[in-house]
Amino acid sequence: METQQMTTLAGVLDKKMNRQLKQYLDICARCAICKDACHQYVATQDFKYLPARRAELIRQIYKKYFTKTGEFVPALYEARDPDENLLDELYESAYACTGCRRCMYYCPFSIDTAWILSVAKAILIAAGKGNEMLGQLADAALFKSDNFEMFKDVIVDGFKDIELQVKELTGDPDAEIPVDKQGADILYVALAGAHSILPAAVIFHEAKASWTLSYFEAANYGYFFGDAVKARQIADRFMDEAKRLGVKEVVITECGHAYRVAEIFHEAWSGEKHSFKVRHILEVIDEYITDGRITVRPDAITEPVTYHDPCQVGRNGGIFEQPRNIVCALASDFRDMTPNREQQWCCGGGGGLVAISEMDEFRLKSGTIKAEQIKATGARIIASPCENCRLQMEGLNDSMELGIEVKAIMDLVLEAMPLAGSSAKVTPTD
Amino acid sequence: METFLYITAVYGVYLGIGVFVIGMAWRTYQWATTPKSPVRLGMFPKPKTGAARVLKMLKDTLIAPQSARIEPLMWAFAFAFHVAALGAFVGHGRLIHEFTPLVNWLGEDGMATFAAWSGGTAGILMLAAVVFWIARRTFGPFKQLSVPEDYLLLALLFGVIIMGDHMRFVGTIHAATYREWFQSLLVFKPEIPDDILRSTTGWSLGAHMLFTDLFLIYFPFSKLVHAIGAFSANLVRSE
Ligand code: HEM
Ligand code: SF4
Ligand code: SF4
Repeated sequence: METQQMTTLAGVLDKKMNRQLKQYLDICARCAICKDACHQYVATQDFKYLPARRAELIRQIYKKYFTKTGEFVPALYEARDPDENLLDELYESAYACTGCRRCMYYCPFSIDTAWILSVAKAILIAAGKGNEMLGQLADAALFKSDNFEMFKDVIVDGFKDIELQVKELTGDPDAEIPVDKQGADILYVALAGAHSILPAAVIFHEAKASWTLSYFEAANYGYFFGDAVKARQIADRFMDEAKRLGVKEVVITECGHAYRVAEIFHEAWSGEKHSFKVRHILEVIDEYITDGRITVRPDAITEPVTYHDPCQVGRNGGIFEQPRNIVCALASDFRDMTPNREQQWCCGGGGGLVAISEMDEFRLKSGTIKAEQIKATGARIIASPCENCRLQMEGLNDSMELGIEVKAIMDLVLEAMPLAGSSAKVTPTD
Repeated sequence: METFLYITAVYGVYLGIGVFVIGMAWRTYQWATTPKSPVRLGMFPKPKTGAARVLKMLKDTLIAPQSARIEPLMWAFAFAFHVAALGAFVGHGRLIHEFTPLVNWLGEDGMATFAAWSGGTAGILMLAAVVFWIARRTFGPFKQLSVPEDYLLLALLFGVIIMGDHMRFVGTIHAATYREWFQSLLVFKPEIPDDILRSTTGWSLGAHMLFTDLFLIYFPFSKLVHAIGAFSANLVRSE
């Protein structure tokens, strides 16, 4: 690789530099306490997945280009140029990371390895080595908003089909899925497909909420890809909609990273304070149940149920109790996994990994610990709000024959609600 | 020996302390003037108030309960090392001025016994921790993760500690004599007492100071800047 190009790549690190990153790069003791925090390292024992090692690759560039000692005595720090070899190693370490930040939880200095790896991804993208699949998915999302008129009718038709099911379930012929409703209280941002729209629509209807559905889905592949500009633009699609409609709050569906992007990243990226609140749908449902706006049968599920905290909802999003409250309200035998909440093990499905087919085998292997944890509870149903987590756990269920049913919380709520319409159990599909 | 001692125990000390103080100040200044990330990097659950945040940061930094849970043995050695190092650092304060209230309380002999025990314990704990760290870095993923800097620091520390321990356990010179030497440095009229020049322990002091000087000079350019950075990085955890 040309020296020129390597200097340009090091320049990406300079552009992304900030106080936290600089401290992380300066202070890591390479004590490897983070080693056994990472499900990927524990499951594979492969050095390239050791959290501090992943960050070390960026540190090697930092030392060489941005410290005098590293420039003069590179050997002391194993400082290196961002050449092909380093970039290849970086690719494997960075795109494998699910961003669960369990390593940060245990590190004595709270070093955010996933944050360092977001810079790694920016460097890889600048070198033309970003993950192709994630890049394409991000571009597809932006293509949809750039050519919105072309898609609009198809999208609305899709909503109309789901609306028919809402009418049937609620027994209310006037039930609707409002779109583009000026002045609604809530803008609900779902995922693509009926499964995340139907239950929410029924719940909002029963709670008599003033809501409207976003044209755009919450999923954000720009974030997984590691391109902060695209990630912001993807989130802008519904944030702009929220501004235009003047809603009081944006409610994000049961999806981990989308919630974190909307609640934590977006204001920082756009440099603008939201004029509305951002909440996760489970916060809203928990409130509806507590306030008696919807009811669920307390014994709707008698089989043992457990709950998996998605990293971006729990440790990184701060929602621990609401989902548990909801599950406990409708199930008689709830069993928590150990460890849980902020110490919970990542299931292995985050970081966009479920979209990258060449990672399939590795991804399932990295879920071994989660599978063992689930088994230990003896639960027959595992509830979890994140779609990526659910896909991963379904994979684990098949490959390790766990004999469990993987459920979204909203689906459990829907099944437990006494509805006026069709009493048949609904299992919405895409 | 006189020349050697003047290099390591006089000029080296000035240089070491100078580089250390300026280097750490420079490093802190660099951190302080680099803009913060606009993204909040904290994790949950977060303390509700500013005071609770600071308390949690102090707990995470000084006790590191999470690290204790995941690797108790490593934590125990690291904790022992840092407490002992702090103790040793405070103990070296006797070089500046005798801890008079303590002497009044314990008496001359009592003070000597106390210093021997506390200094000796700290010296042994630090040595044990450094040996443990060196051993840990010789195998498996710990070896793979280590870079020469890690060994350099541990080697320098090993030198500092082993020579310090030698002076404490084998040496025949007493605190008062060392104080004479150190106080002369403080008033910039450096002089090495004859007792030291005439004793073989003088060589131990020279070696102890050689390692210490190098350690202090390298400190601000090493990962040991965590001595300051740990506090702010742990504060980010709850922002
Ligand atoms: C006052 C704040 C300090 C805090 C909170 C702190 C904390 C830590 C922690 C948590 C580790 C990582 C665990 C480990 O490697 O054992 C560590 C490592 C280390 N610390 Fe400190 N430290 C502080 C000051 C110092 C000072 C002043 C020294 C110098 C004597 C020092 C020397 C070391 C060494 C040598 C290691 C790494 C050992 C290795 O190579 O693995 N620390 N420190
Ligand atoms: S636990 Fe923290 S300080 Fe230790 S090696 Fe891992 S990232 Fe570095
Ligand atoms: S964020 Fe999670 S997946 Fe990434 S290195 Fe840390 S523990 Fe491993």
